[in-house]
Amino acid sequence: MTAPLYIALRFATHRKRALFLSLVGVVFGVGIFICTQAQTQGFAQFFIDSTIGSNGALTLRSRFRPRYEGLVIPSKNVNALPERRNFFEGVHNVSEIMRVSRQFSNVVACSPVLRGNVSARSGFEMTTVELFGIDPPAHLRTTDLAKQIIDGKFDDFTNNTSAVILGYKLADQLEVGCGDSIQLLSPSGEYWRFTVAAIARSGIGTIDSTRVYAQTRVSQRLLKKPYEASMIIYKLRDPNRAPELATHFETLFQHASDSWQEREESTLQLFIMLRLSAAITVSLMILLAGFGIFNVLTMSVLSKIREIAILRSMGYRQVDISAIFLWQGALIATVGSLIGCLLGALLTGIVSKVPIHIHGLLYTDHFLVVWDWRHYFWATVLAGVAVFIASYVPARRAAQLQPVETLRGSSL
Amino acid sequence: MKGEISLSCRQLERYLGEAEERVHALRGVSLDVEAGSLHAVVGPSGCGKSTLLYILGLLDVPDAGSVEIGSTLIAGLSDQELARRRNQLIGFIFQFHFLMEDFTAHENVMIPMRRLGQLNEEEMGQRAASLLESVDLGDKLRRQGRHLSGGEQQRVAIARALANDPQVILADEPTGNLDTNNSQRAFELLANIVREREKALLLVTHNRFIADSCDWVHEMKDGRIIASHPHGERISV
Repeated sequence: MTAPLYIALRFATHRKRALFLSLVGVVFGVGIFICTQAQTQGFAQFFIDSTIGSNGALTLRSRFRPRYEGLVIPSKNVNALPERRNFFEGVHNVSEIMRVSRQFSNVVACSPVLRGNVSARSGFEMTTVELFGIDPPAHLRTTDLAKQIIDGKFDDFTNNTSAVILGYKLADQLEVGCGDSIQLLSPSGEYWRFTVAAIARSGIGTIDSTRVYAQTRVSQRLLKKPYEASMIIYKLRDPNRAPELATHFETLFQHASDSWQEREESTLQLFIMLRLSAAITVSLMILLAGFGIFNVLTMSVLSKIREIAILRSMGYRQVDISAIFLWQGALIATVGSLIGCLLGALLTGIVSKVPIHIHGLLYTDHFLVVWDWRHYFWATVLAGVAVFIASYVPARRAAQLQPVETLRGSSL
Repeated sequence: MKGEISLSCRQLERYLGEAEERVHALRGVSLDVEAGSLHAVVGPSGCGKSTLLYILGLLDVPDAGSVEIGSTLIAGLSDQELARRRNQLIGFIFQFHFLMEDFTAHENVMIPMRRLGQLNEEEMGQRAASLLESVDLGDKLRRQGRHLSGGEQQRVAIARALANDPQVILADEPTGNLDTNNSQRAFELLANIVREREKALLLVTHNRFIADSCDWVHEMKDGRIIASHPHGERISV
């Protein structure tokens, strides 16, 4: 153990009350930082998992006409706007695009979807719904629909072309359950009768309150669409690389392509704002703890002026004196962060058990948390930086004290 | 002369303060202190005794003149180098003991050794215990500085000054805060150790008895050494 560290430990442990107060600030700052990050990221992660589980990590939709930009000689009129992209509804050559897509290592599965808006009726209740015409086996491989079923059986849907799966909120709104029938209004004005085979809960309010799953062939007839898919959805091994693949698919297939990050951009930004806001609030707590440590160490320097002078007379260098106070800060940061991490884990565990009923944007009956080592790492880094800044000034001041002035003042 | 010169200075000049309050604290002070000898510096308050001591102890830097410890000329060294030499070559004893109050007597004596870093924990502990034994504090090793009497604290300070076996011991009014009995005892202890271990001692004192007991007495006035007397000669202070 170095001499400054030894003296720092002795100084710190002989000022137990000040040490305790400094530690409390760091412990609570670190603990609450971890807990709030675990919560805010927990809700965001739940949303991401749910949206990817329902709509895929990547979607390929309408074909567009290529503009051949590389071949066009720029106009002399520099203010000329670029040509707008012309889209054609629906996916062309679905089976060929899916065959080629599966060659990509990041693609786990893909599934065609025919989508359209229709009116749904049951008894006196009527509402507009989003019809998802799906190929059941392919859709099962691509999404979490099977896991989302909360009533009924997916097989009853697969084996019956006139069966549908409803979002649980929509089922509540239409007041129907499994085995009941609903009517969907085709664009030509005919009502088609379907049996509710199952009810699904994705966890995302907008999906659960509007979505109806039906089989592709039936949906194509009902919607009177000339194409078999209005989009292809993809399950990816690494959903975080979806934007790069989307760009590549656009160029390759000449179809518009959206990653889940683009699709849910506004909601994701909301979650990022919430996380940042929580992080800033708690960081202020840690900074306040830093101010406390600054005060404690400054008082310590003032009360140890004589000791500093005698240490200098015994051959301790300026750097040793500043190290004594920096070590005290490091001690507070280390012990405070360790206990703070334990407190953070404990608080996160407790909060995850707290019952709440959120049945709006998301569906959950308890607080959602994420256990992520990065929360602990950043909380520790933040505490370390705050404590270092707080201890640097007193340490520097201690090192610059002139021993002769102190000794002369005490001996004459 | 008793032996090799351990500490010497030549033509030291030192100004203290700024502008109109500037004081010429040392005016061409020269001095030699031999190993195994006791030198006392006496004089009225403000004559420059402590300033001389701090410059010789490498805590302050002269405006002119030179200091030599052993055969090494101390000039133009960095704070780091000065600190290293202070740690190795010089032991300080102050009027107000300046022990670390929360540290035990044993720990106080080990502080200079920790900086030197030449001994392990066990060796430092043994050396500190032996030094405290030599100042009759063998039974109070674990007592905190604040729980020792004034005389005991000063004896711990003497042991601490000897911790790294320095060539030179500098003492600023070492008995100034003690009663007559304790003054006598502390000085005799210090004198015996200095003679036995061949150290060079320079002490600043107002105590006539202690000054008379030293091998040399240097009288200072207005920043100058006005007279130096060997043991036994009458001094004017």
